[in-house]
Amino acid sequence: MLYRRLLPPLAALIAAGVGLAVGGDALPLSQVMHALANPHARDVAHTILWQLRLPRVLCAALVGAALALAGVQLQGMLRNPLVDPYLIGTSAGAAVAIAVALAFGIALSFLPALGFLGGLGASLLVAALARRGGGIDATRLILAGVAISALLAASVALLSVLARSVSFQLTLQAWLVGSLAGRGWSDLRFAVPYAVVGAIVAIGNIRALDALRIGDVRARGIGLDIERAQWSILGSATLLTAAAVSLAGMVGFVGLIVPHLARRIVGSDARALLPASAFLGAAMAIAADAIARSIIAPRELPLGIVLAFAGIPIFIIIYLRREQRR
Amino acid sequence: MIRARGVTLQRGGRRVLAGIDFDLRPGEFVALLGPNGVGKTTLLRACAGFDVPAAGSIDLDGTPIHRLAVAQRARHIAMLSSDELLADELRVRDVVAIGRFPHRPWWRFSATEEDERAIATAVAATHIEEYLDRIFTHLSSGEQQRVWIAMALAQGAPLLLLDEPTTHLDVRVAHNVLALLRERTKTGTSVLCVLHDINEAAAVADRIALLGCGRMLALAPPAEVLASPLLDEAYGIAMHRARTEDGRTIVVPAPSHPE
Repeated sequence: MLYRRLLPPLAALIAAGVGLAVGGDALPLSQVMHALANPHARDVAHTILWQLRLPRVLCAALVGAALALAGVQLQGMLRNPLVDPYLIGTSAGAAVAIAVALAFGIALSFLPALGFLGGLGASLLVAALARRGGGIDATRLILAGVAISALLAASVALLSVLARSVSFQLTLQAWLVGSLAGRGWSDLRFAVPYAVVGAIVAIGNIRALDALRIGDVRARGIGLDIERAQWSILGSATLLTAAAVSLAGMVGFVGLIVPHLARRIVGSDARALLPASAFLGAAMAIAADAIARSIIAPRELPLGIVLAFAGIPIFIIIYLRREQRR
Repeated sequence: MIRARGVTLQRGGRRVLAGIDFDLRPGEFVALLGPNGVGKTTLLRACAGFDVPAAGSIDLDGTPIHRLAVAQRARHIAMLSSDELLADELRVRDVVAIGRFPHRPWWRFSATEEDERAIATAVAATHIEEYLDRIFTHLSSGEQQRVWIAMALAQGAPLLLLDEPTTHLDVRVAHNVLALLRERTKTGTSVLCVLHDINEAAAVADRIALLGCGRMLALAPPAEVLASPLLDEAYGIAMHRARTEDGRTIVVPAPSHPE
């Protein structure tokens, strides 16, 4: 069992190594290590690594880990394996904020912050609609999330039709498919605090997620404050998703698939599942971003597209195998 | 330990039970009987502190139950509901271990010696040693019920509330489950248990609480309740009484006559 728990961090480490080595100019691993070990050197490899690759790899790691952590918590809370972090409206809210910002010609450097606020706002709206008594009703949460997301997506489409500007369309498109192109240290500095707070709350949620595995009513019977747990999980998932969206736009599938892969590897015990999901999510996003950067270099593919092409087959295979086993 | 006075309970905004008074003593087994929809589960939920009575009070050793903090309540009261399915692939061992939840602060992720001891005792009492490593959902209903009871015992609460623990179980397995609960009362655990089979309840309980017509019609030893016409009134059908060879009374519905 222990070696299985070591697999996800190992995968993340390997992905990070590959992510630092590949790109427009491939760097041999020895050069990567040398540049990492000597942060004050002044050669080209050093500049590529410290100014371009390392922040990109860290951004991808944060996006993947945050989405996976958000997804695994929401799936656990709703006991629904098809729940995705975007279900709670975060991505659609961020997209609207970005679209409005672009339509009004607001500087690109403000976009992550606006995306974050838009995502947070939409999630709060969904949560408010899903309230029942002191807690959250699972069905209402899913319905409210789908409804609000659809409305916001329509608003984005409307703005896109009205704007008719090519640069607007291109920037918006990059946000909608999810991309890390051009992201660097400053973007990372913006997103990290929210992701860290979300992750700390997630650690606090581990105990509740374990109890929720036996069902809401029974979990209450063994002394879980369901309402508090639900808000705490929703809060953590919202912060994590908004941080990821502010960095990379709407990167799909990581939050949906990675928890399933992690469950296959380490089981459903939340103590093992949460860290495993975070590491696997990071590994998957770093690897996909490495492919996105290098496969048609010097041009780049959006991260979201690579993840969809890699992620959907994996998802289908998991589900087909599941059916066969039963 | 449980004292209910003048309790009125609502379900979906409608009053289902009113004027409920009862006491549950340490080591006592009380069976909760009554027709479908009369409010048995509602009363059980109120005793577990899940719902607050619309009027009156339910106290645990002198404190209103709904005032207790959730975790504190769970150290005193274990509530086993019957209606939820498990989607997750949990091993039996993990299910029982979850019972230790109220004894564990949020920063501690691993079991203490006390946890291990409580789990081992619960496992031994319910005789589930042989399937500890199996997947819970692969067990039969009777085995699953034993595991839930083991979880509730691991919780270490002196009061067990159970909602229809014998539904879906065959006669023998149901008998074993009830015998197991009965056994626990010898160590001072109190049991309040919703049952549907009147004779089953009479065989195992110290007292029967009979709910009907929006109130508690009777709270008395089984022999009295079974002999009483209140039973016919509660269920709205005529009952026949018969004596078994060992002198117990059993009841069966009288044959219905088409009008």
